[in-house]
Amino acid sequence: MSSIDYFQLLKLAGPEAVLALAALAVLAVDLIWMREAPIRQRQGAGAFVSILGCLGAGLCALQMPGFGSFANGMLVIDPLTLLLKGALLVLTVFTVLLSVDRDFTEHVGEFFALILLATVGMMLLVSSEDLLMIFVSLELTSLSLYILTAFQKRSALSAEAALKYFLFGGMAAAFLLFGLSLLYGLSGSTHLGGIAEGLVGKENDPLLIVALAMTVIGFGFKIAVVPFHLWAPDTYQGAPLASAAFVASGSKVASFFVLAKVMMLGFAGVHGDAGWRHLIAGWAPLLAVLALLSMLLGNLVAIVQGNVRRLLAYSAIAHSGYALLGVMSNSGEGMASLVYYTVTYGLTTLGAFGVVALVEERTGSASLSSFAGLGRRSPILGLSMMVFMLSLAGIPPLAGFFGKFYLFVGAIRTGSPNIGLVWLVVVAIAMSAVSLYYYLQVLKQIYVTEESAATVDVTGETNIVTCCAVGALAVLVVLLGCFPNLLVGPVLAATGSAGL
Amino acid sequence: MTSIGLGHYLVVSAALFCIGLFGVVTRRSLLVIYMSLELMLNAANLALVAMSRFNGNLDGQIMVFFTITVAAAEVSVGLAMIVALCRKRRSAHVEDLTTLKL
Repeated sequence: MSSIDYFQLLKLAGPEAVLALAALAVLAVDLIWMREAPIRQRQGAGAFVSILGCLGAGLCALQMPGFGSFANGMLVIDPLTLLLKGALLVLTVFTVLLSVDRDFTEHVGEFFALILLATVGMMLLVSSEDLLMIFVSLELTSLSLYILTAFQKRSALSAEAALKYFLFGGMAAAFLLFGLSLLYGLSGSTHLGGIAEGLVGKENDPLLIVALAMTVIGFGFKIAVVPFHLWAPDTYQGAPLASAAFVASGSKVASFFVLAKVMMLGFAGVHGDAGWRHLIAGWAPLLAVLALLSMLLGNLVAIVQGNVRRLLAYSAIAHSGYALLGVMSNSGEGMASLVYYTVTYGLTTLGAFGVVALVEERTGSASLSSFAGLGRRSPILGLSMMVFMLSLAGIPPLAGFFGKFYLFVGAIRTGSPNIGLVWLVVVAIAMSAVSLYYYLQVLKQIYVTEESAATVDVTGETNIVTCCAVGALAVLVVLLGCFPNLLVGPVLAATGSAGL
Repeated sequence: MTSIGLGHYLVVSAALFCIGLFGVVTRRSLLVIYMSLELMLNAANLALVAMSRFNGNLDGQIMVFFTITVAAAEVSVGLAMIVALCRKRRSAHVEDLTTLKL
């Protein structure tokens, strides 16, 4: 590499460039023209420009050549990463819609600009195969999300949640960087493919074990698996709603994809085996332990939660455990199931957070009892929440069921010769049954429990934009469940052509 | 007298990392915790530079330039959060971060 071809860079990083420009445009519009306008108009304008930016970035991604690579893997374009970028843009659009007409801050332009910058970080994250780019874009995402979490400056809870998120995240970044530095030292390369080549013959090096453990710890914080999950419930509860929804959806999709990529490509030679009585040291058994703990603890602790936001947080921890099965499959099929699962999970969670937002505005709290009588009060919201909860529990014919189905099938098919990962799949299915209990608790409040005085409407107005977004998300979840091929087909084709 | 090799650098950086981790876990003042976080990141930087020198390519050193910048951005975000918390709580200690129960 002698000189950098800037024209090619601009071509390959087109969607990110458009989105970064849109972030600046949102700031400019808000600060120059909308400064004196009432807050609702400012939010409307900000959301409009943001969504326009997302559409522009999406169009730009459609124009892309199918394959491309810049500066030795710093930026890799293939059908799979393009698909993920599209999914991330959709999640961003819905997050933007969820933050409209919501009175939590007077810094409207900054809020939308940060959402877009976080999206830029995630999009760069999914398309990089180089340690430097992975670290920098992960930090761009994380720093934006920390600020988004702290955005409700009137509330002390928001500052506290952000600080906890920041302290855990900062520690995770340090662990990750140290792991990556050892990895670079062992292999002499920062490119994932080069690392896999450099690690050949060093499988038993103690430094490699340290590097692997530290990398997994670093990513473990980002995807919130037990025992690195402590920030999640507090952040979900204290953050402004749109920020919490974005932390739960977009950042999960990107982090899981990059974790899978680092493990499958970078640590290709040290997969090991997590099969029952067939244990071979490597990253698969390590992830198996994390997945087991997350599924058990996430589901069991979610049962006793009285706050729906915290319930969603613990359910997110459990879902991270399921999704790790896709990483452990270590195959193209596993990757495809992981992408389908995380994307549908992101859509479902966004929808659930949308309903929580509406209930919170109506009753002033997100406790379980404030959902009482929602089904009679507004049938459509109740029905949407039922779709989201049953999809999270994995009931057919909703998207969550097929997500879990593909994950489990992928995990059973690949792996060691005897019964492979079946033991973990059995645990996952058993814990899914447990999870049905607390999801049904929410539905019981919505449909069975009588409305009490505490849940009577205090504001009297509903947020139309959020209602529409929630409805659209519910339709999407049902649609992706009834016709999983809409998403599975392209994902499978893309993983096939990406050579995973 | 033996010459200083890669092992020496790695031991120093591992020691720095552990001191930083110890500080993050045991200290009560948020500012000291931030300093310890910086120490952890710099331990990784030291390891990167040493590895780069002994691997004979510059990738690691380039990475260090980026991580120093990222670390500076991280601290500015963190300090802003401390200010936000101080305005609400008049305190910068972790014992006071207990409104949200684990």
